Amino acid sequence: MKKLIALLIALVMVFSLAACGSSGSSEPTAETEPEQEQAPAEESGETEEPAEPAEESGETEEPAEPAEEGGEILIGCLQDITGATSTLGSSVQAGAQAAVDEINANGGIGGKTLVMKTYDTKGDVTEAVNAFITAVTVDQVALIVGPPVANIANAIKETAEGYDVPVMGFALDPTCQIKEDGTAYKNMFCFQPSATAQGTIMAAYALQNGLKTFGILYNQENSYSVSLLAPFTDRLAEDNITIDEKLIVPYGAADTDYKTLLQPIVSAGVDAIYCPNYTQQLVAIEQAAADLGYQGKIITGLDGAPNFNELYGADCSNVYYINNINTDDPDTAEMAAAVEGQVSAVNKYFLGYDVVMIAKQCIETAGLDDPAALRDAIANVSGFEGLTGTITMDPATHMPGNMAMFMYTYDNQTPVMLGEFAG
Amino acid sequence: MSLQILINGIATGSIYALIATGFALIFNVLKFSNFSHGATMTASAFVAYFLLEGRGLGLVPTLLVAAAAGALIALVGEFVGFRRILLNHSSATYFFVSSITLGTLYEGLVTIKAGSNFFNFPRFFSTPTINIGQQVISTSDVVMFCISMVALLILAFIIQKTRLGRALRAISFDRDTAQLMGINSTRIIQLTFVISGVLAGIAGVFLGIKYTLYPTLGSLVVKGFIASVIGGLGSLTGAVIGAVLLGVVETILLSLLGSGYSTIATFGIMLVFLLFRPQGIAGSNVQEKA
Repeated sequence: MKKLIALLIALVMVFSLAACGSSGSSEPTAETEPEQEQAPAEESGETEEPAEPAEESGETEEPAEPAEEGGEILIGCLQDITGATSTLGSSVQAGAQAAVDEINANGGIGGKTLVMKTYDTKGDVTEAVNAFITAVTVDQVALIVGPPVANIANAIKETAEGYDVPVMGFALDPTCQIKEDGTAYKNMFCFQPSATAQGTIMAAYALQNGLKTFGILYNQENSYSVSLLAPFTDRLAEDNITIDEKLIVPYGAADTDYKTLLQPIVSAGVDAIYCPNYTQQLVAIEQAAADLGYQGKIITGLDGAPNFNELYGADCSNVYYINNINTDDPDTAEMAAAVEGQVSAVNKYFLGYDVVMIAKQCIETAGLDDPAALRDAIANVSGFEGLTGTITMDPATHMPGNMAMFMYTYDNQTPVMLGEFAG
Repeated sequence: MSLQILINGIATGSIYALIATGFALIFNVLKFSNFSHGATMTASAFVAYFLLEGRGLGLVPTLLVAAAAGALIALVGEFVGFRRILLNHSSATYFFVSSITLGTLYEGLVTIKAGSNFFNFPRFFSTPTINIGQQVISTSDVVMFCISMVALLILAFIIQKTRLGRALRAISFDRDTAQLMGINSTRIIQLTFVISGVLAGIAGVFLGIKYTLYPTLGSLVVKGFIASVIGGLGSLTGAVIGAVLLGVVETILLSLLGSGYSTIATFGIMLVFLLFRPQGIAGSNVQEKA
């Protein structure tokens, strides 16, 4: 009898596991339409209208045939919905879904409904590669709204090379888009200024404000963090400022004792600590610096943007960060305010929104029958007026050139825009 | 090497000591390494965070709530995960497997409630630093060290000077004989789990303050395990010595060698102990290990 019961329990467990397995990580998490993704059409301001056709850039071939009436166009959204960088991925996904909803409310693309499936990378490169393969082989998505995290983009770039599906992402590390031989990965695109541009802007800002001595704390296991290092130091070097090697402190994912890591930098009494890291690390680093009595500035990169201030929960007036959006612009401020309570990272929401609108423009221009034509249209996007600025892609790097960025700080915990910088 | 690094190491070591003693208590009584201890730390810290969020209460109420939550979680864990195995006199391997399962369960529950995001305790100290001459010392380090030491002294008093402590020591030595002498071993084991849970709650809050609060924070239980091995598995005094030593050595190595090498060196030290002195610093050599 006991054996029979044990056998039955074992069978139930096996079936339960099988049932769980059917909703595994490589499957789409949802064709999500959570509340946070509902952006009223009027909030979208000027972007509600289709952006100028790509042929105006002069680069793209003849427009494709108009899409047939009815049916669906399926796109993928490969994001960190859970995991350490879920605040970033969820915000991109929310913005992308808002754009999809708006497009469909205005008749879809060529009469077809745009459908977006979200795939959760869980912030894990293996999960990301599996999800990517599922998206392009099983679901056969037309294109993918890519992750905002460089490590994930780096993981899928080689796999993506074997397919004909563009990945329209935000990984600012140029190595995610450009091969060692200098040519671009055919399917990898980034729709925000590169690490080179952002690192240079942050260094230029620091120099403009009379900062002369620096320490650096960066995550040596993270492409985002590493990619922002050289542009910053190179720009400083142009003004004959070098950083003592002892004050350039690398750390790894397993390190948590930021106080000890920061100690030599704080002891040296530097004007600013440059630490391009993700939000969680930034919160811990800012806290550790305060615990060490550090009085100088901390320059953080993109992830010092809100909701860093909420998570830190104290005065962070010494934090300086770069951002994609200008919240002093009334239209941007209005839209940001509309989504602020619903998404964690407003700038990522805007990036997600913009990239789907760009995808719409490219599909309208090139159609979906010829993958090469669609890729060309994406690579040659020119003068797209988005929420994150005017986007013109460089076909050689698959990244935008000369896009403006904005430097911010906090007044206690309130963001304050300091100025616009050309890329 | 600055005084701040030494103090940072001692403060970190004192938190490891809380973890290690909670760990060693269970090992002492049931002779297995309770790997659900880490997830108990995380879960109790999250309970305190969510219950007190936005209320503006200080560190002490947070610690009390976390300690109570830790005690409750550990008590439930004892009943669900270990009681039946104990009554059946099953092998220590079953305790070990059950502890891993419980830990995964707690972590999963925390992830469902909290998502995979991280959280940050409010600033408990209006002045983040204390200046002693030229030296700047972190207030949180000093407070964490003091509270940890008070908690450990209370624990030492309970174990050495109270009937409960004597009963605990008796069960640790020989459970069956203690039971024949009239000690209610089930009740004492429950109380041991409660004490272990209280320590886990306090350690969870301190780790959350130091490193932010996230669902996998409990993985730092490994540090408590290493400290227990260095100190001598099952020895409470050894666990405290091992933990403080580990905290200080780890901090100094990080300061001298930088990231990467310091981690290798830390695990290297543990291997050296296992190779040359498996009974640890305190010399308590427990044969039944899982």
